[in-house]
Amino acid sequence: MTRNSAQWHQKPNFPNSHFVDTRIYTDDVLFREEQEKIFNKVWVIACHESEVPNIHDYRTFNHPGGAKLIVTRGEDNKVRSFYNICPHRGNTLLYDPVGNAKRITCIFHAWSFDTKGNCIDISRGKAGYQDRYGCDDAGLREVRAEIGFGGFVWVNVDDNASSLADYIGPAMELLGPNLNEPLEVFHYHKAVVDTNYKLWHDTNSEFYHDYMHYFNRATGMMQPGYFDRKYTGYPNGHASVGSMSIKYDAYEGSQARAVGWPGLAPGGWVLIDLFPGMTYNLRTSVLRMDTAIPLGPNKLLIEFRGLGLKSDTPEQRAERIRDHNTIWGPFGRNLHEDLLGVYGQGVAMNTGTDSKWVIHGREENSTIHDEIGMRHFYAEWSRRMERPAFDPYGDNKIGKLERAA
Amino acid sequence: MAHLEADVRTAVAEAVYRASMALDAKEFGAFFALCDDSFHYLITAHSPEIRKDMTWLEHDRKGLETLIVNLPKHNSDHSPITRHVTVYTVEVAADGASAKVVSALQVFRTTLDGGVTELFAVGKMYDTVKITEAGPKLAHRRIHLDTRMLGIGYHVPF
Repeated sequence: MTRNSAQWHQKPNFPNSHFVDTRIYTDDVLFREEQEKIFNKVWVIACHESEVPNIHDYRTFNHPGGAKLIVTRGEDNKVRSFYNICPHRGNTLLYDPVGNAKRITCIFHAWSFDTKGNCIDISRGKAGYQDRYGCDDAGLREVRAEIGFGGFVWVNVDDNASSLADYIGPAMELLGPNLNEPLEVFHYHKAVVDTNYKLWHDTNSEFYHDYMHYFNRATGMMQPGYFDRKYTGYPNGHASVGSMSIKYDAYEGSQARAVGWPGLAPGGWVLIDLFPGMTYNLRTSVLRMDTAIPLGPNKLLIEFRGLGLKSDTPEQRAERIRDHNTIWGPFGRNLHEDLLGVYGQGVAMNTGTDSKWVIHGREENSTIHDEIGMRHFYAEWSRRMERPAFDPYGDNKIGKLERAA
Repeated sequence: MAHLEADVRTAVAEAVYRASMALDAKEFGAFFALCDDSFHYLITAHSPEIRKDMTWLEHDRKGLETLIVNLPKHNSDHSPITRHVTVYTVEVAADGASAKVVSALQVFRTTLDGGVTELFAVGKMYDTVKITEAGPKLAHRRIHLDTRMLGIGYHVPF
């Protein structure tokens, strides 16, 4: 039975925790508010420590809250982060995505900084500023940085935020035994897609869309244990999905993943979604890390990393790369399908399309096709935004949250 | 002799062009007919971010054929792509049994409604071609992409 306009806009017949208003994916005001209330308050991954392996190595990073950042390794081997902006005339300090710089010198007027963020030279400073202004006034803005949970470099632009460990809480315990060895990034690429960052995180937070992936149907859904995988929610909006044994050779052209991973059972697959847009995805031989960096309400940049062990032999590394590319490379079977899916959502729900609701209503005892992962995310989103995701502007007039996810 | 070598160079270049035309038309049988049994295919790129060369796709002939056969089972972007290839150099080996070919590659993607054609990727194509009695056959192809942001990606090799 089709629906007319009134029926289309009518509140879905679910508790308010089980659907969201699609304006949360398209509205520019809400997006700016998300940058302030969410991204500028939480820990996010800027890069991996293996991307700044040597003293003076640096990496630039566009923080999802809007700030441009530098991550650099100092003479004391400590990794720090600063705004990538000269305090003089606001020019970009470092243009390249990566490099090695003992001194960071602005190309504009040659103001110079060390890897601790101290200003060490203002060209003709005394002549121009006399005693009114000097290097002590011109240090870089430092951003909190910590290395953790597999050697990733985490940053937080909120000086008053709690520690990284407090933010993550117990959410990473499932992967704890798997991240004891030093890791190394062997794959990196970015994708810009016309979609909302939450839709990408949703895709990483629900497995019901395995119907979209022939590879996952053949190697996972058709195999024992698939429907036993369970979601666990943690404080701060994080969630995990337990493991099963994937039968990789059930897909023609794929093969059993022999190289494995420390502490992970053969064929194992553990996934952890960290609020608001990071996902650890350990599939047997490869750790994939997604970092969602929203560029606008319907514009998303995603950084994709593939990691192996730093101790890999060339043969082991080659196997991990092959396993990664089969499904997760830019030409991989699954990644393209996932991106096609969220791109289609971005098109269908964009402003002016008369989209209204997205439903997260599946309840299956928190098992793999239950949509509790998304409900858990939106409960945290609503708390931080001080707006319910089902009624962000209070004009749907459908009451308060009826039941916590 | 010079004109014979020129003929070989022309035939090799034409094989590279025909291979691209076959892939554009998704006539995969015609493409594989231009490939040797030992055909090996790679797509590579360099990431300054992680300071590493990367392999994004690698298959032998059988693996590539399987990938193509599996395509209908997958959900794919069906926007057509057009490969614009310019053969830069053809270096025929001294024994005349093979040639190394360097070509420029530009890949354009056209939206499903035909409304917009955009440059999808640029790179270079490094081919090794066997020169056989049945004509030139692709033995090895490495596509090195300068473009590292491919949006939602693509299921069909370039």
